[in-house]
Amino acid sequence: MSTMNMVQALNSTLDHIMSGDNSVILLGEDIGKDGGVFRVTEGLQAKYGEERVIDTPLVELGIVGMSVGMSLMGVKAIPEIQFQDFIYTAFDQIINQMAKMRYRSGGGFTLPMVLRTPYGGGIKGGLYHSQSGEAYFAHTAGLVVVTPSNPYDAKGLLISSVESPDPVIFLEPKRLYRAAKIEVPDEDYRVKIGEAARPMEGDDLTIITYGAMVPTVLNTVKKNNLNADVLDLRTLLPMDVNAIISSAKKTGRVVIVHEAPRTLGMGAEISALISERAIEYLYAPILRVTGPDIPFPYRLEDYYMPGEARIMKAVKRVMEFR
Amino acid sequence: MTEMVNEQNEKDVFVRAYTAMVLSRTFDKKIVMAQRQGRIGFYTPSIGQEATQVGLSMALDHDDVIFQYYRDVALMIHRGVPIEVILDQIMGNAEDESKGRQMPSHYTAKKYNFMSVQSPVATNLPLAVGAAYALRYQKKNTVVVATFGDGSTSTPDFHAAMNLAAVFNLPVIFLCENNGWAISLPTEKQTKVEISEKAAAYGMKGIKVDGNNFIETYKATMEAVERARSGKGPTLIDAISFRMGAHSTSDDPSKYRSQTVEEGSEKDPITVAEEQLKSLGYLNDSLIAKIKEESTKMVNDKFDIQEKIPAPVPSTMFDDVYAEKNWIIKEEEDDIL
Repeated sequence: MSTMNMVQALNSTLDHIMSGDNSVILLGEDIGKDGGVFRVTEGLQAKYGEERVIDTPLVELGIVGMSVGMSLMGVKAIPEIQFQDFIYTAFDQIINQMAKMRYRSGGGFTLPMVLRTPYGGGIKGGLYHSQSGEAYFAHTAGLVVVTPSNPYDAKGLLISSVESPDPVIFLEPKRLYRAAKIEVPDEDYRVKIGEAARPMEGDDLTIITYGAMVPTVLNTVKKNNLNADVLDLRTLLPMDVNAIISSAKKTGRVVIVHEAPRTLGMGAEISALISERAIEYLYAPILRVTGPDIPFPYRLEDYYMPGEARIMKAVKRVMEFR
Repeated sequence: MTEMVNEQNEKDVFVRAYTAMVLSRTFDKKIVMAQRQGRIGFYTPSIGQEATQVGLSMALDHDDVIFQYYRDVALMIHRGVPIEVILDQIMGNAEDESKGRQMPSHYTAKKYNFMSVQSPVATNLPLAVGAAYALRYQKKNTVVVATFGDGSTSTPDFHAAMNLAAVFNLPVIFLCENNGWAISLPTEKQTKVEISEKAAAYGMKGIKVDGNNFIETYKATMEAVERARSGKGPTLIDAISFRMGAHSTSDDPSKYRSQTVEEGSEKDPITVAEEQLKSLGYLNDSLIAKIKEESTKMVNDKFDIQEKIPAPVPSTMFDDVYAEKNWIIKEEEDDIL
């Protein structure tokens, strides 16, 4: 066991993966000498060389496109996009190459690659260093989308992602990078893709969340003595439908919390899944607490991010609904 | 296969190249006709680009990897991909390697190191760069080729790939099949400079070659292959030809261009090849007639046979999205089928 934050957990896991598998190559902007702007790849170029930890030119579509080409030749590419906000020039590569290669080659060409990128607000990053674009990727068949909310899951999900035969978008909630240190086992373990966690059990209501909102929800539940079932989805595509539905049936009251904008966000899909499968168990409408449908503001970001007050407002509405 | 041409084998190598060009031309005309008859859905013929594609293929080894675009049938034929494999894809039948999922002209031929064709132009170029990086890392002496049209040179993917290949000094050949047209846009409206000149901006060798002349294209490609294999980095080849047909069977070029190249005219690459091989004494009119006759029979016969293969069974459309179907796809399959 070692006590570490999420950056340390990711860094030591990448180190461990690279030491055990020569076919793994990391590439991205400033990930080598500089160790990445968040230091997730610190020290890896010094240890594994410039050929395996590549400082690339400044071109997101090239980083993703090269990773696809490498993976086709049997290299396991782990590209980093410095901020998820900068990923859009690579969107064509992600949607039309990365996500469709297996399908369009009849299963002949596969892409076991993991695209890592920090996402979300809370670091005073303004419009272009704060976005939560997970729904764009979760809307795309052929991709797997995961997001850890603590150092333990970060390690277990990263190992599972690298071992996955499918291309994975690995979203790192940057606000949590150094938010907490917890015990992380030194040995290998896996957090299964497609499996939600239930960090708190309760009977009165269900709160479904993921990523950077998990600690916010857990603190709110503790502080207000809620008897809540909290689900941390961990995988956004494919979501753990069984965990979602069984909890909704148990409590009959559901609040969904995410930082991304409301319209067509993950909450919309979660709400639809519950409506289709468990509507007769519900005592109240399913409510969403999300970022507003505006670009991410710099100075006023605290008003943008869902917090205790907004979560409790929704919880009260759901609990008091008659 | 790399054809190290010498005095002993030159005749065989050149006649084989010519035969592939004729077969490709015959094939294209047959498929365009079949589309008009409603027997297939769509097609992008290579007519006019046969010399470029065959000249390229002659310079490559089997192990070399090709990230091709959707207009490369002569390249596939010369490289040894059976006509049946090409027909199966165009027909989208149960034997097709991509299981009938892609529209015609979007081939996958793994056995022949042809990667899978995409529609969004130039998105194959960064993949070729990554593949070359991986192959060099694996200590393989393999060359990676990306083919694309002149329109692709305007894209960000072209710029990204050229820059990356040069920065990492990778064994990549960028072969621009410059046929003068990107659907309706002529090359002079696509770019202000010669395409081969763009290479200089990246610190890369650029070659302009007569893509209507398979021998010249072969020589230019051999130069690029040797550069790549000896660790001297990438090359951009601008192979100039003319798109003698429409962009696709859905396109009517009479709307935007009056310029044409007639089949059999002196600008037709097959006519150019015939003149070259006749003057070398490798072909005569009766041999030419025999090659054309055999090509026609082969294409017609194989088309009729492959046409009888049924469509893939419906459940296959849910396969290969992932290694294993997730619950979402299983549920949707149960609902739809």
